[in-house]
Amino acid sequence: MRELMPADVRTMAEATGLPMTDDDLAEVTHRLNAFLEALAPLASLALERVEPWPTLPDTP
Amino acid sequence: MTGSADDIAFQSAAGLRELIRSKALSPVELVRIYLDRIERFDQQLRAYITVCPDEALEAARRAEAAMARGGELGPLHGVPFAVKDQFDAQGVPTTVGSRILRDAVASEDATVVARLRAAGGILLGKLNLTEFALGGTRDFPYGQPRNPWNLDHDPGGSSSGSGIATAAALCAVSMGEDTGGSVRGPAAWCGVAGIRPTWGRVSRHGVFPLSWSMDAPGPLTRGVEDNALVMSVIAGRDERDRVSSRRPVPNYRAALTGNVRGIRIGLITELVRGADTSPEVRSAVEAAGDVLRRFGAVVEDVSLPLLPMAGAVFMALADSEGSGLHRRWLVSRPGDYDQATRRRLLTASLLPASVYHQAQRARALIREQILDACERHDVLMSPTAPTAAPPIAAGAAAIVSRAEVAGRFFTRRSYASPYSLAGTPALSVPCGFTSSGLPIGLQLAGRPFDESTLFRVGHAYEQATDWHRRRPLQSSGGRLADHPPACS
Repeated sequence: MRELMPADVRTMAEATGLPMTDDDLAEVTHRLNAFLEALAPLASLALERVEPWPTLPDTP
Repeated sequence: MTGSADDIAFQSAAGLRELIRSKALSPVELVRIYLDRIERFDQQLRAYITVCPDEALEAARRAEAAMARGGELGPLHGVPFAVKDQFDAQGVPTTVGSRILRDAVASEDATVVARLRAAGGILLGKLNLTEFALGGTRDFPYGQPRNPWNLDHDPGGSSSGSGIATAAALCAVSMGEDTGGSVRGPAAWCGVAGIRPTWGRVSRHGVFPLSWSMDAPGPLTRGVEDNALVMSVIAGRDERDRVSSRRPVPNYRAALTGNVRGIRIGLITELVRGADTSPEVRSAVEAAGDVLRRFGAVVEDVSLPLLPMAGAVFMALADSEGSGLHRRWLVSRPGDYDQATRRRLLTASLLPASVYHQAQRARALIREQILDACERHDVLMSPTAPTAAPPIAAGAAAIVSRAEVAGRFFTRRSYASPYSLAGTPALSVPCGFTSSGLPIGLQLAGRPFDESTLFRVGHAYEQATDWHRRRPLQSSGGRLADHPPACS
């Protein structure tokens, strides 16, 4: 996914009905791009067949 | 009464209960000792959001009356405790550290609070936390919590007040809630013991949620024995929390044998020797490994290569779960959130679903690596955090680059959050101090529902060292007097 620009983030916020002040916009853009960058290496893992169970079943 | 009031305040809960049982100390005297310390120190430390002096004294009088009548006393009879202001206590507001819930008075006790009271514990009050148990709050509505070892430093979060109040003996024991390290972080930075139990071991009923799939209430105490004692009281099935386990609760104190001979301990190389771990923290953790080796444990390196990514994976998942919970207020009352909380929730609200699902799959792989390592090792060992407590000012500024996000949020969380993702237990115990006098935390993690082994190893380590016996506020007169009271 390419780097997000502030205008992209504002559009996403408007589309989802979230309030976004100009002051918030810059920081939220940095935070979103940091997530995308940090999680990008996951693409190199063979994740397609991993079952994404969020929790462990309690099996005594 | 035996010893000075301050000496009594720093006693273990197990010791206090024994003093009370033998009538060397009355519950009313003990509550007054803690109320006096709260009065003396909390104007600056800001551990408490709400103190309940009248209710606590009344409960102490009832505890005295019960003793006069005779009969069996609970395992925490007369012992004053405090809880993070994320737990409901009947008749007391549960603010969750927010302005939005300032007046939200609870109609009943959280299960954990009810169990502590049923065991004879006396609720002193509710403790400060980062807003809504998310980290990174810049403007605390109920005052800036401060580290008792150095008031200019961060006590850790989100259970900030729990770490402070326990370390500074403003209560005998406290409760925190750990989603991604919120018990273990404050425990490490304030120099006390804190456990994140196996997910489902302790009921979440009456605890304001952050992440349904990772929230885990756990105690903070001034020693491992007290941690085991409190866990024996609060753990176990609760019909009001559907994910709470039906497994029988062991007698955790029975595990404190002092014997670690033959225990296999894996030292996680990525977290101990990684570039983000400070040299002082690395030395302290390696020295702890040497101590355990001398007592017969088998300590060897283990590699878990996905762990450095755990912080980002954790935040993508936990924040997304949290943002769903907050959406209504985020839309209708955005100005009532702290700036950093609002921006964190807005970010999570906009994360693409494809990224969320990829993080969910990565979570499964991280869990697999941890469980595989637990097949070969009884305990996994690492620092609880890569550094000791940073200055408060370091976390107060706005984010101005994406690199700063990684440094301030993802890196630190990669030390504690792997076990949140895996749903496995992890205990933090003090393992040293930096040259500037700040505590360092040692993290011991283990198999699901095997808290006993963590207590066994942590307790044995504690018996061989004196880190947990050190007290903050020793030069309190000067230090606290130099510091202006925090805003209310």
